[in-house]
Amino acid sequence: MNLFGVLEVSASALGAERMRAEVVASNLANAESTRTPEGGPYRRREVIFASRKPAFALALAQAGGGAAGLNPAGGAAAMPGTAKLNAGSVGVQARAVVEDTAPPLMRYEPGHPDADANGYVAYPNVNPASEMADLMGASRSYEMNVSAISATKQMIQQSLEILK
Amino acid sequence: MSLTETPLMDSLARFLDLAAYRQQIVSANIANIDTPGYHALDINFQQELSKALADSQAEIAPETRQVPGLVERPDGNNVSLDREGLLLGQTQLQFSTGVALLRSELRRVSMAIEEGKGQ
Repeated sequence: MNLFGVLEVSASALGAERMRAEVVASNLANAESTRTPEGGPYRRREVIFASRKPAFALALAQAGGGAAGLNPAGGAAAMPGTAKLNAGSVGVQARAVVEDTAPPLMRYEPGHPDADANGYVAYPNVNPASEMADLMGASRSYEMNVSAISATKQMIQQSLEILK
Repeated sequence: MSLTETPLMDSLARFLDLAAYRQQIVSANIANIDTPGYHALDINFQQELSKALADSQAEIAPETRQVPGLVERPDGNNVSLDREGLLLGQTQLQFSTGVALLRSELRRVSMAIEEGKGQ
């Protein structure tokens, strides 16, 4: 196991959190969109997170690389004296973007071009308050992972100091 | 063990290895702070270190386990930001200590070599 693998774990979280923030931005931008290419009003989207093994370690194991310490559990035996990557050490990925199934908000606007026979317009079910809370959550998690990256970077920097 | 490789160096190398390992686990916990159903993992540092120091030939394969006593959120995730933040700092300092000790040990060996040159 090496410290560069740790960077990959944190980097995966940065990507996932960024995607979450992008989806929130798209929800807020489309809060009033009554038309979409699929027809009907825009539907609120949400990101599903799932944990995963770091891609590099997996690729290396699949390529048969017996490099010390990078084997995920179940791979070839690690070199003696080096810690092997544990099955528990996993990154994260935005597995899917799903649409909210909640019914659209019906507003009475008879003059609107998208109004139905009764004069109601279907608006996206986007709640700005909850979207903002989600955005803040994504931003804070992003920051936390940046801190983890700085800490790891400093540790790598220090190991290089041994050489001097 | 050779002339230029003291037992302390070997111990420190293992200490650093273990600290780096823990850093990975803490980073993984932080990365998965929003993953539904994820449970925080950790190693028993003291126990793993004494295990690693007892047998210098053994492979370092720490036992990771779920951290007991953490409050689980409604989505099944129990990662505590405070705990992980604290561990992040702690592990970093442990690593720094290990590196500083290793450097001083190397300097000592180098000093011994330099002294021999005078004759």
